[in-house]
Amino acid sequence: MKDRLATAVKQSRADYTEIRVERTWSSAVAFRGRRLETATVSEDQGGFVRVLNKGCGWGIASFTSLDELPAMVGRANELSHAVRMDEPIRLAETTQQVADAELDLDGDVRGIQLGDKKKLLEAYNSAMLAVSSTIVDTQASYRDEVSEVWYVNSEGAMLYQVRPEVVVSGTAIGRRNGTIEKGLESIGLRKGWRSVQGFEERFRVVAQRAVDLLDAPRVRGGAYPVILDNELAGVFIHEAFGHLSEADFVYENPQAREMMTLGRRFGKPALNAGDNGAAAGLRGTLPFDDEGTPTQDTPLIREGILVGRLHSRETAAKLGERPTGNARAISFRHPPIVRMTNTYIAPGKAGIGFNDLIRDIKLGVYACGAFGGQTMLENFSFTAGWGHMIRNGHVAELVKDVVLAGNLFQTLDRIDHIAGDFTWNQMGGGCGKGGQFPLPVTEGAPHVRIEEALIGGDV
Amino acid sequence: MIDRLLDSARRKVDGADALWRREEQTAVAFESGRLKAAGISEEAGLNLRVLSKGRMGVAGTTTAKPDPDALLERARASAELGEIVDLAFPTAAASKLPPIPTYFDRTANASLDDLIALGRMLVERLARPDCQINVAVERAVDETAVGNTAGARGAYRGTGIAVTADITRIAGDDVLMVYDQYVGADMPSDADLEALVRSIETRLSAALTIVTPPDGSLPVVFTPAGLAAVVLPLEQALSGKTVLQGSSPLAGKVGEVMFDDRLSIIDDPLTPGRPASRPVDDECVPSRATGLVERGAVGRFVYDLETAARAKTQSTGNGRRGVFGKPHIGYTNILFRIEDGMHGAHEARHAALPATLGGGLIENMRDGLIVDDLIGVGQGNVISGAFSHPVGLAYRVQRGEVTGRVKDAAVAGNAYDLLKRIGGVGTDGRWLGSRWSPSLLLEGVSVARR
Repeated sequence: MKDRLATAVKQSRADYTEIRVERTWSSAVAFRGRRLETATVSEDQGGFVRVLNKGCGWGIASFTSLDELPAMVGRANELSHAVRMDEPIRLAETTQQVADAELDLDGDVRGIQLGDKKKLLEAYNSAMLAVSSTIVDTQASYRDEVSEVWYVNSEGAMLYQVRPEVVVSGTAIGRRNGTIEKGLESIGLRKGWRSVQGFEERFRVVAQRAVDLLDAPRVRGGAYPVILDNELAGVFIHEAFGHLSEADFVYENPQAREMMTLGRRFGKPALNAGDNGAAAGLRGTLPFDDEGTPTQDTPLIREGILVGRLHSRETAAKLGERPTGNARAISFRHPPIVRMTNTYIAPGKAGIGFNDLIRDIKLGVYACGAFGGQTMLENFSFTAGWGHMIRNGHVAELVKDVVLAGNLFQTLDRIDHIAGDFTWNQMGGGCGKGGQFPLPVTEGAPHVRIEEALIGGDV
Repeated sequence: MIDRLLDSARRKVDGADALWRREEQTAVAFESGRLKAAGISEEAGLNLRVLSKGRMGVAGTTTAKPDPDALLERARASAELGEIVDLAFPTAAASKLPPIPTYFDRTANASLDDLIALGRMLVERLARPDCQINVAVERAVDETAVGNTAGARGAYRGTGIAVTADITRIAGDDVLMVYDQYVGADMPSDADLEALVRSIETRLSAALTIVTPPDGSLPVVFTPAGLAAVVLPLEQALSGKTVLQGSSPLAGKVGEVMFDDRLSIIDDPLTPGRPASRPVDDECVPSRATGLVERGAVGRFVYDLETAARAKTQSTGNGRRGVFGKPHIGYTNILFRIEDGMHGAHEARHAALPATLGGGLIENMRDGLIVDDLIGVGQGNVISGAFSHPVGLAYRVQRGEVTGRVKDAAVAGNAYDLLKRIGGVGTDGRWLGSRWSPSLLLEGVSVARR
């Protein structure tokens, strides 16, 4: 395959040519309630060509028929020539790599019978259903894949990567009369079959929470001191800050660049954050990104000061910075764009625990878990899975419909305490941007306290 | 392709149906006002479902020259683990297809230069100092063939074009984003493009002033875009699948008045000029309109073949399938029809948007909001109808006038409660993606500010 791509690149008449070919083997099992929805094995494959010429823009072609590869290189070249540009697109230098990188398959999912995958998921699904007769519905899914990715470009890169992935997730729906609540568990790993065993208890816990939420009051809307648990703090740093640190947001926009000037204060000195695509064994981890750049740990905020951003080769060249290995595509159907990998809030001092954060809060909210999050640049929203009121320094009653709404700059600046209890939260699902969803990412954080944040809800 | 596969299936399994689809897309992208990239994508795929010993299995492939026997074998292996279902495929006689134009030559024949010119015109019209503008033009041409072992066949070609424009304005730490799109099966007319430009200009200029948000239980105009948070719970609850699982709050309420009795909601795959329209669904069921809500009462839930078989009812022709996985329920075009709101959807296609915000619903509003975009719609406990979201783009109304944009505010409510009484219906009905609706004035919405 490498030779085939190398030949096609050599024959290209464009100034710069890159080709990515993927072959993905995957299997999926899904339950809805007690009923099996599907159990299937799929094979998906296709190619992606991107070319650049002097004085011209990108020409792009994606296709499922690999026989068309030489023709598609020609089509991409024609498209590039149709895009006339005054200011040329430049790509930052990277050391072009020739490498084979096979991640640990940890029990190759291709060798496991579909029936065994069904049995595993059935156990997790049954654990949710067995909690209570008020669990009226469940959704459980198992999905695995092993993706082979070949990447060759006209600057000499020649890469072969094997990327495994396995996701188990479940939603338990509790219903009593007109009230409906849900509990969500999701585990996503860049690993294999061995890594998703023995999670019955985690699925039981979320179903129990759905039942408990039926009796919980809605949180009263307003401004509170808020403690985020590790999972929600991770979603927060990804949604609220991570997207702004993607350089494609600023590189063509002088006002945005001013807003995100390196050296600007973003938070109190306790705050450190970054993105690490090279971290060992996480779902967002890759040896090389989809432009062939090696991944790395990129500090974004150091002691409250903005110190870095995430780049593709194009955004790095434009801003005179170095590529960070963050150009990623969800599949051969898409071009690589600037994305996060494993994004984190670094832990505070060892020994600072949850109790140190809660102690002096008279009335506040402990927001836990995440149903999701969305950013609209400086404004964000994220939905906690559940919450507790904090009363006089203690965790009090369970509350539901906890939605944090906020302004990025104000909220980051109001993070006043960070615990030392860091964890990576490896969830399924993924990140969406520019029509590319779901991209495997991981978020990591300790417990984090915000002096004051807006909680939506009844007023 | 399909015939050969189904012939082979007929010999080896009890029954089968299949979908073959080929898509070609051409896209041009303007970034910060400059044409930056042009791309094509070509994709073909085949999806097969079999019934084997009463059990259902599926398999799909994107291989260029699929081997029918290999695909069939995978589908049969999937069926061995599958559930028993008493699925009846539509017969040839039952699949006489209604006429509906889905393929427009103008769209299919538009050249790369035509698409670039279209984008460039919008960039020029919308350019203004201190604003960044992105425009994308995407044209799709597709071919679909469906068939089953009961002899039904359906085939059609389709076109689609999406023109999207967004403007970002950053002033200090204030980020303002205004976005709109044209989506159709046919190319946009001059009036359509004019409407797109005016929609963005109107919302942008009203947003330049920032005002304090109000606080409390207030009247809120949800624009067609802002309505998403209110519509989403209904879309979930009206799905036959949700009803079957016992998690729909509307289960068992057919015929019962649950909403304002002027409100009707229709799923209509036969709406002319829409990319979601088609003569037949992805399971060979001929298309027809379904009344989801009829004068405030719960009408019919939407079903595909499998959920219909399990619920002992008929498919409504809402089967949709991709290359991988099994068919599932999907809406086509969702139309809001509100009685005193005039306008059928059809004549509204070429109507230019009014240059004022709020669809004529704010004249008598003392203090309230116009909500055009909420952040995080679809997260949370959607099915319950409850929503709570910070505003993405919203305007304050005071004494009948838009006074400016509000930030740092969140709105909350319950779709079921709010739709019990519609305070007013806007004159600004329009398509947004595959939904047609006017603005709605809803009362008693919780607004919280920092």
